[in-house]
Amino acid sequence: MYSAEISRANPTCFVFLLDQSGSMQDQIGSGGGQRKCDVVADALNHLLFELGIKCAKEEGVRDYFYVSVIGYGTNVAPALTGALAGRELVPLSEIAASPARLETRTKKIPDGAGGLVNQEVKFPVWVDPVANGGTPMSGALSRAQSIVSSWLIDHPGCFPPVVLNLTDGESTDGDPSFPAEGIRQLASSDGAALLFNLHVSSDASPAISFPDNEAVLANQFARDLFNLSSTLPDGMRTYTQQQGIPVSDGTRGFVFNADATSIIQFLDIGTRASDLR
Amino acid sequence: MLANVTTFSVPKRGSQPEECEDASWVGPDGSGAGDFEIGSLRIVVADGASESLLAGRWARRLSSSFGTGKNPTRVKSGFIATYFAAVDEWTREMAEYQADREERGVPIQWFEEPGLTKGAHATVVVVEFLEGQQGAPSFWKAAAVGDSCVFQVRDEKLLASFPMQEVGAFSHQPPLLSSRGGENEVIRRHVRLTSGDLDHEDSFYIVTDALAAWFLRLAHAGGRPWEPLRDMNTMDFNVDFESWVNSQREEGGMDNDDTTLVRIDLY
Repeated sequence: MYSAEISRANPTCFVFLLDQSGSMQDQIGSGGGQRKCDVVADALNHLLFELGIKCAKEEGVRDYFYVSVIGYGTNVAPALTGALAGRELVPLSEIAASPARLETRTKKIPDGAGGLVNQEVKFPVWVDPVANGGTPMSGALSRAQSIVSSWLIDHPGCFPPVVLNLTDGESTDGDPSFPAEGIRQLASSDGAALLFNLHVSSDASPAISFPDNEAVLANQFARDLFNLSSTLPDGMRTYTQQQGIPVSDGTRGFVFNADATSIIQFLDIGTRASDLR
Repeated sequence: MLANVTTFSVPKRGSQPEECEDASWVGPDGSGAGDFEIGSLRIVVADGASESLLAGRWARRLSSSFGTGKNPTRVKSGFIATYFAAVDEWTREMAEYQADREERGVPIQWFEEPGLTKGAHATVVVVEFLEGQQGAPSFWKAAAVGDSCVFQVRDEKLLASFPMQEVGAFSHQPPLLSSRGGENEVIRRHVRLTSGDLDHEDSFYIVTDALAAWFLRLAHAGGRPWEPLRDMNTMDFNVDFESWVNSQREEGGMDNDDTTLVRIDLY
């Protein structure tokens, strides 16, 4: 299980749910003065950036993934902006070709002499921060369930689809555990769909990545999201462990006020490129 | 002693032939097939990493450099010197590549920049054959980084398997040669060398990882994986390589990956 190839001949889908509710206007607890809506928009742009790089080949990006970005706040609707506005499921090559804009950001890189130097890099932006309305998380999860369900009809042998929910966890349209369970019960011949959660919180507790029990989490919203999250399949657990994070059979796809880009690295599209050590 | 050499290659299912990121060299001139005096014969197989940009181009650069480099299989320093020469050549090649992109009006895009900075990565295995002089025995020598493999078969038995011996050792993270080079000592730790004797009627199969893992799995189960490879495209087994690989992907547990075989029959 969880060993199906991910290729153009056998692509899988990635659904991102983006909390755009009014409570996302609040600041996160880990300092820096950033609003939660800034953090999740930036995280989502970064995830799409990493996905594009992972699948990049000469002069193009390969369609190993089909991507959906659903925002939820005032309503539940596709959230990509620019030329992709209104599109629900988009091949990765089109995502890469059509960011709403390209920003120039500064990144620190090793200078070869033990120090760091600034380097300008292009950073694509597909979504901007939005914070309006309630938090229809149950509606968003139901929408993801519908997208994954349709995908599986056409791709019954794919690597199980992944749904990543980026939120502060304060659902206002009922108990999200029912549609979450609905997602986790969908399956390809390679395993059940995976539901992961990235929790941005006003709580100043330390960042936590991929915990294996709810007791380490400081608030009820975090514990609720932990319980909605799938346990990590073997291969992903091994990768997590290689990153220096302790794991067990109970390790779940949940991060609290932390970077979630390792979720992209969980996905094998072939030989990983790394330098000799 | 003479060697008849045949090369087969098929891309990953869903890819076009020009997208294949495997590369091979059959020496002395990289011709790919034919009959050779063994003393003039060198084989290189390189496999570009899927998650690497320009991986096929780097694999071709490595196969060409190792096809013509000096003493790549005898001592690790010879292997490393050849690798560094390939890195130097690559640096020149990349300058030309970027200039060509600008000239064609297709400049490097955002999703390519990190990959170009990170460099391209590939495995490589090199095999040389040494004809014994004045009655002395003949030998083969090989060097490798990563999981592209050479198998030697004699009298219907698998005599040598290099550098991989166990199916369980294959992974998505094999050691790889980077186009950015590296520290001499680190590279030295990952270079594997071997050698063995030669006999008339030995067969060698030099392959990339998907076929290597399939081969070892079958061999360890008591099978003779060399049989279809030995007979491929002959009167005994009139099936083309692509059809056979596709059938093994469907039913034989072979991974869907670019797949290359260089077959050498001594006579």
